[in-house]
Formats: sequence, C-alpha cells, structure tokens
Amino acid sequence: MSEQSEEKTSAVAGPLLHLGCPSCGARLVVEPSLRTMRCPYCAAPSVVERPPVPGVPEPTFALGFTVTHTAAREHVAHWLRTRSRFTRSGIRSAEPGEVRGVYVPAYLYSVLAHTRFSASIGENYQETETYTATENGKTVTRTRTVTRTEWRPLAGELTGYVADVLVTASTGLRNEELEALEPFDLRGLARYTPALISGWVAEEPSLTREQCMGQARKEAVERVGGRLEQFMPGDSHSGLHHEPRLEWEALDVCLLPVWVLAVRYAEGAPPLRVLVNGQTGEVVGKAPLSAWKVTLAILGVLALAAVGYLLASGGAR
Amino acid sequence: MSTATPEVPPCRRCASALEAEDLRCPICGLMTPPRARVAVEREQAKVVRCENCGAAVEYSVEVKAPRCAWCGSVTRVETTVDPVEQAQVFLPFTVDLEAARAALRGFLGKRSFFRPSGLAREAALEPPCPMWWPAWSFRAGVEVSWTADSDAGSRRSDWAPHAGRTRFDFDDILVPASRGLKVKECEALAPHYQRGTAEGAPRGPEGAHVERFDATRSGARRTVLEAVERLSRERLQQGVIPGRRFRNVHVAVALSSLYTTRFALPVYVLAYRYRDKPYRVLVHGQDASVVLGEAPISKWRVAAVVAGVLLLVLVALLATGVLGA
Repeated sequence: MSEQSEEKTSAVAGPLLHLGCPSCGARLVVEPSLRTMRCPYCAAPSVVERPPVPGVPEPTFALGFTVTHTAAREHVAHWLRTRSRFTRSGIRSAEPGEVRGVYVPAYLYSVLAHTRFSASIGENYQETETYTATENGKTVTRTRTVTRTEWRPLAGELTGYVADVLVTASTGLRNEELEALEPFDLRGLARYTPALISGWVAEEPSLTREQCMGQARKEAVERVGGRLEQFMPGDSHSGLHHEPRLEWEALDVCLLPVWVLAVRYAEGAPPLRVLVNGQTGEVVGKAPLSAWKVTLAILGVLALAAVGYLLASGGAR
Repeated sequence: MSTATPEVPPCRRCASALEAEDLRCPICGLMTPPRARVAVEREQAKVVRCENCGAAVEYSVEVKAPRCAWCGSVTRVETTVDPVEQAQVFLPFTVDLEAARAALRGFLGKRSFFRPSGLAREAALEPPCPMWWPAWSFRAGVEVSWTADSDAGSRRSDWAPHAGRTRFDFDDILVPASRGLKVKECEALAPHYQRGTAEGAPRGPEGAHVERFDATRSGARRTVLEAVERLSRERLQQGVIPGRRFRNVHVAVALSSLYTTRFALPVYVLAYRYRDKPYRVLVHGQDASVVLGEAPISKWRVAAVVAGVLLLVLVALLATGVLGA
C-alpha cells in the first residue's frame, strides 16, 4: 500500500510516506517527522504506524494537554503585553496568531548515581587577638574577638537516584527551549496509546537514544552537583569536585504537550516563535530588543547625566 | 470491600514493591515493564475508533482524555492513579469490652497525689468505643550517604567534618497514619501489638469502627520516606558518626526493596466526664495493661503544695536571718 520515495529528510525518520486515508481512501503524503495526520478531504484524524527504527524507541508515555486552545492564546496575549518597553515596536500590541498543539517527543531519563566527591570544608572558630590603636594621641593595646576559618579536607561518596530528567528528542525543539518550558508535572503521565494523540500533531523522535544520552547524563550529573552543594557540612566549603559513576540508566520516550505559535509583529520581520507549556501554561519566547530604542534610551540617560553634571558644577562655582 | 490485586513483580532497579497501576517505580523512577506490543511490519495510517459507535476518537483537552466526537464517550487511559487506600491487614481485639472497662476503672482508681480523691467515684463513664487506627508498616534496605560536623578529630575549631556511607535495614517500622490519635499516643501503643496475629478482615467487639487512611498512595509514600530519613538520621547519631556532639547532619537515602503494609490496629477509646469536663483514656486492644490517658488535677492540692513550698522558703529565710536583719 505504501510507496516510498527516495529523498531523506532526517537522520532518523524515513522518507516521505504516501498513505491512503483509512476513512475515505484518498492518497496522502505524510511528513516523515510526523506521527499523526488529518485527511484534508474527510477530516478523519489518523495515527501513523511505522516499523521500529533502530536506536529510536517507541513512545512509552505521553502527557495529555490540559491547557485549552483559548487559554493558551490568552497566556500568550498576556505575555506579549507584559514584554519590556525596549522590545521592537509592534510586539507588545501584536495579536497572537494561529496556535497549534504539538506533542513533542522527549527522552525521560533516570539513573542510580554513585558520586565520589572531595572538598575543603571551612569550620569557623573564634579567636581573641590584641591590637594597638591610637586614641587621643596615645597608643593603647586592646583585644577583640575575630572569626577565623579552619579548612579541612573531606572526601566521600553520595549514592542516590536521579529521576525525571527530560531532554528533547526532537530537532524542532531545542533543549534550551525545553528547559525553559519545564517543569512538567510528571504525575500526570499516561502510558502512550494512539488515542492520546489522535487529532493532534505529534512528532516522531528525530534524535536517537545515543545522541540524547550524553545530554541526559550531563543534566543528571549537574543535578547531583546541586545536591552536593546542599550536602556539604561546615560553615562554608570550596573546591568541590565530584566524579559520578552512573548505573542502571533508563531512557524512555515521552510525548510532551506544547502549544506553538508564530507572532507576526511587523511587515518583513521574521515571526516570533512562542511556546506554551500545554500542562502549566508557562510561556517561553525571546522577544527581540529594538536597537533604536536601546540606543535612544542610553543617549537619553547620558544627556540627563551631562545636564546634571553641568548644573552641579555651575552651582559650585 | 477488598479487591484481589494481581501480584506485581518488584522494580528491577531498586527491588521496591510496585502496585499494579504504577507506570514508573515511585522510588527510583524506572519504567515498569510495558505490555507487549505487536511490531508493525509496514507503514500504515490508522484511525482510533470509538468502542461504542465506531466514529473517530480524538484527544479532548476539555475532558483531558480521548473522547468520541460523535457519541461523547470517553476512553480511559492508563495513568498513575493516586487512590486513598484502605487497610490490608487487621489485628484482632484480644481484650474484650469488660476488660477494657476494668482497665479504665483501674486507671481511675490509681492513687496519685495531685489527683482529686473522689475521681473514681465521681467520674461519669461513657460507653467504650472500640476502633482500629491506621498505620503503615514498612521494611526496606537503605543505602545512606551522610556528612556531618562533629567534635571528633576537631582541632582549633570545635567541629571537624566527616562523611561516610552505611547500610541500614529497617524491619517492621510502624508509621502512624491516624488523625484521631496523637503521635505520642500512637508511639506508646505501637510496640505492644502482636504482629503475628494479622488477619485479612476485622474481628472484634460489635460496633467497632475502622478509621480510614486519610492519605493517598503518593502521600503515604512521602510519609514513609520521611520516616526513613528521620530514622536514618537518628541511627547515624547513635554510634555511626564519630564523636558525641553533632551539627549539620545531612542524609541522602537510596532505598531498595521497600515494602509497605497498611495495618489497622485495635484500641479502645474510653471517655469520661469529671465535673463536666471530658477526658480521654486509651486502652490497648491487645494488652489491657497498656493504658494511656489524662486525669484531672486537683487545683486545691496544687495550691496547697505551692503554698507549702513558699512557707518553707519563708521559714528558711527567717531562720538564716536574711529577712530578720
């Protein structure tokens, strides 16, 4: 039933697919990066099934959308209104356009981390010292209490699970963007079933396990580092080094709900990409600053400073 | 009402017990084994059909579940459920109503200096109320990493840093889940229960009622984890960390093989009134010699003691001549 064309678009996903609509039989072209489609003739939503790709697991979990279409638009409208005055003109008054709900694939990573650490621990102590001071022209000897720090080396090992590390599995959503969208409430996790994404746009993972494993490990190690900062005894510490040994790694594909929209704020300017966490309503986007406005503001401040200086020096004369 | 739950194999990573509905291990976050899926041979598009009417089903953000646009029926999806759980195991009452009443009379008749003398005679007893209070019992192996400051090995400062790793095995630790009883009361009652007498259904005096677990499954796990951390911290300070004085005790626990049982434990709650004020006494449901309770304090006697002490002090001062001078 399916014919495969030769062009390759992604390292992971296969070529363009030509599939028949299961409702009306129309022949449709499916993007290799998409897991769902909607027939333009009969509007039937369908979920594409593909043979497994080596290195890319099937989705295990999905988080359903809880923020509605209108709520997502309102969140973005509010976000646009509250941007800084220095953003390019038109952004604060722009109307959010078409909002699309997309299930973005991410890898959910968990691990048992044994981390060897070493640090210098500072323990404070009080000491009385004598000093000389000049008082009324005479030299007198006084005592005072000073706090000093004694540095002691400490080494040890911290064992703990690191769960709930999310890294993007899609080339469409950069990992920084995913981090800005986090946290997702993983208690709402559901086991993946095609019904959960039916009627919505869902992406296929376009990065392999191996490509994402490094990023996931890095985030897990960073999290252990943060935990270690809290874990150190003493009044202060410095030179904290840690070396993790990761055991029992697990990586599962999880589909995350993200509202995506493009805001057009000026003719000719590329549209501003805004993302909304489909579960919490958190808005992420980078509103570009206007070079003119920033320059004018700096010039204004400089002019004010100059006027102030002139006035002050005029008054002194 | 008890539902037979199928045996679920423990987590492969941390060997903790899993519930049938868990999608991930609540302790270490490992995915539970998925159901076997038939591998797809070739690409095809499929419409998810409604089981009722056969129309296409779409995920609806309004009902937060897949819903049939035609007939409105909602498809259930497997999610992490968080039910309020009920007791699995009941301990039977071995102390009967009469013995409980006798224990209360014994408690009231006990002589104590500050108690009003007519307490046993004047107290109006209310009918005893037998009940089961809820508690979790857990066993777990815990890998504890710790750091702390202690006085051992200290030099100029009073404190020296220490770090280490140790393993504790907790066996049958009881964590109270009762809202009606105070934590102190629960702790006093807990050691006197015979765990071996556990049964699957309540057995005791008529009209005994069961206090419900007032926590969801995730709440229960949180309470148990807090207990593990608290107990680890206590045990570390009893001989594991060198030294005698400690500060900044940091504990990180990695649990393995956590098993939790939900217990219902028998107790008699006996109330009495003395001069129109209510008091409460607890009699252990399995050991009548364990009686906890409050008793009124005679104001006259307290006042008399205070006056006596003051008088003595005055006399002493006079005798030593401090006041006389």
